[in-house]
Amino acid sequence: MKKFFKKAVTAALSVILCGYTAISASAKEPYDVYNYDRWGEPIPSQAGYTAERAVSGYDLEVGEFNMPSDIFCAFDGNFYITDTGNNRIVAVDGEFSKAVEVYDKFTFSDGRETTLKKPSGVFVSAENQLMYIADTENSRVLITNLTGNAVGEITKPDTEIYGSQRTFNPQRVIADKAGNVYVVLNNITTGAAMFSPNGEFMGFYGANRVQPTAEIIGDYVSGIFMSEEKRARRTRNVPTGITSFDIEGDFIYTCTSSSTQTTDTVKKLNAAGKNIFAGNENIFGDYSPMYDTSQNRVLASAIVDIDIAEDGNINCLDLTMGRIFQYDEDCNLLFIVGTNASQVGGFRQAAALESCGDRLYVTDTMKNTVTIFKETDFGEVVHKASTLHNGGYYEEALNPWLEVLKYDGTYRRAYLGIAAAKLRSGEYEEAMKYAKLADAGKIYDKAFEGYRLEFIRNNFEPILLALIFAAIAIAGTLKIRKDKKAALSAEKNKEE
Amino acid sequence: MYELTPVQWVIHAITHPVEGFEDMRWKKSGSLKIAFFIVFMLFLAGIAAERLYGFNHYVPYDKIFNIVPYIVKSFVIFGAWTVGNWAVCTLLDGEGTMKNICIYSAYSLVPYVAQLFITTFLSHFLIRDESVFLNIIAIIGTGWTAVLLFSAIRSVHQYSAVKTVFAIILTIAAMLIMLFLLILLLFLIQQVAIFFMTLFTEISYRVKS
Repeated sequence: MKKFFKKAVTAALSVILCGYTAISASAKEPYDVYNYDRWGEPIPSQAGYTAERAVSGYDLEVGEFNMPSDIFCAFDGNFYITDTGNNRIVAVDGEFSKAVEVYDKFTFSDGRETTLKKPSGVFVSAENQLMYIADTENSRVLITNLTGNAVGEITKPDTEIYGSQRTFNPQRVIADKAGNVYVVLNNITTGAAMFSPNGEFMGFYGANRVQPTAEIIGDYVSGIFMSEEKRARRTRNVPTGITSFDIEGDFIYTCTSSSTQTTDTVKKLNAAGKNIFAGNENIFGDYSPMYDTSQNRVLASAIVDIDIAEDGNINCLDLTMGRIFQYDEDCNLLFIVGTNASQVGGFRQAAALESCGDRLYVTDTMKNTVTIFKETDFGEVVHKASTLHNGGYYEEALNPWLEVLKYDGTYRRAYLGIAAAKLRSGEYEEAMKYAKLADAGKIYDKAFEGYRLEFIRNNFEPILLALIFAAIAIAGTLKIRKDKKAALSAEKNKEE
Repeated sequence: MYELTPVQWVIHAITHPVEGFEDMRWKKSGSLKIAFFIVFMLFLAGIAAERLYGFNHYVPYDKIFNIVPYIVKSFVIFGAWTVGNWAVCTLLDGEGTMKNICIYSAYSLVPYVAQLFITTFLSHFLIRDESVFLNIIAIIGTGWTAVLLFSAIRSVHQYSAVKTVFAIILTIAAMLIMLFLLILLLFLIQQVAIFFMTLFTEISYRVKS
């Protein structure tokens, strides 16, 4: 009994100590780093990114930024920041040490000069080396080259499809390899406007769906019994418009910042505008919204910007809590970075997100800074493992995943990766063990199938013998029973 | 004829869906002890099917274990069924006593309980592609219990088929009403408890200051 007590005390102490060290290990960040465990509940985790520094306009010697609302990492290694309040685009070198160029006015080929008015999005195409600027309050998308000469502009399309009553306030702009331009417009819920390379309006692309809430289903049912006039007068159900998007290869990823909507918050659209994520039941942002008692409101994630890294990882920026959620290309959560705070690494109003190499860049429209996050050692290992895993190199990813577990033994993604690797290499029992730890029923099933087959193959003779014995035993007992019954009835007949 | 031990009576009742319970009634047999044992097995089977099921078929939420839902799913539901059926059928000229309703209903649960155990056991040997076997066993077990339950209510009260259906629907309604009242009662007790707690806190603050 005494021994048991001693053991219990030691165990309790070690748990407390471990907990303490776990906290102090991540104490560099101005927030508690967390991730989700296999039950979908938040638990402390290791930081995948750590805030390196925050850069303001003074650091770059271009004067203070005023609401920098978008940032783009271009093919030439420079960053293009839309300095919305100062009506300019600032190009910064890759190290963020100095400004390379400040664009505040552009000249057309006919000598006409033009300035920007509250630009809120910028995109630089690697194919034709042109800069696309969403010039919001001038209601146009300005296309310029990198030396400051305007090449063309896209204004409000004059067609029936667009509608004459709608405004044209571009928020974000991207261009694909073929030179088609996609524009996210403020207050437009029918998707992004799509323009051909010569500026012709081609229609809308990738509208969100209406979330099927109880109210909307009820409206639909009551709509069946309504007259045409009544139906025309009631409020319409429109989906939330796209907030931001990014292009990677042939796919366009969109995000929607709505704290109430949960469908279509993040989409991966193919060239036809079909959402590839539609069938998956992925949750982007925090799993369950937090209730803030001091403000009496529910803090649900609102994803305001999305960025696809070179290795395919999806970075989502959550405005509500000031967090970056990083997912791999299969939408498995990798890291949660950032918070709302005044320190470096915290945001007041996160606006845009860009990734380049092993760093993340986030602009803040209230702090007027760009915060730079650098991948930690842990982040590096996880990225290496997940890239190998998603590329199909499961066995090569095994060692990196084991390394990940040394950093963080509760990192669920690692257990999944190890289970997949063990399954691939035919170590079924190990695969089953790790699949169980990762809550991965499908992998467990595959591993179990292999394990069962192996078991039967190795023990075929004993199993066969046991089966024969069982058959004989059953037949024997049945026979005895039958004889007994027959004897009993014979006795009865005799008595009668 | 039919000189059977209590256990043999259980087997007879569940293997003769049409006449089994009639025979039991005629012979005035049936053991309350066995009935309670079956309900207890239902309770165990519920837990087994939830927690011991093959991981490849079903991933349970195993962070915590709360026994209350299992108690509700077995004892409380069965008790509500018995009391509800007795209450309804006393008004509908049923001949069954509470004891008999309890025994007959419990006996008819045997296929369902067996199905839970068998599928839980087999799920450790079958893969997902073969889960159709588990489904078939589950459907047969549940269906059999439904038929037996119908037959049990019919013979315990000596009803016609139509009246049995009617009685079963009313019994389910009675169960819902009972559970509703139970929740209401619990809620009210909670409210009263909170009231006295606040009163106590308030007074203790006054006394202290």
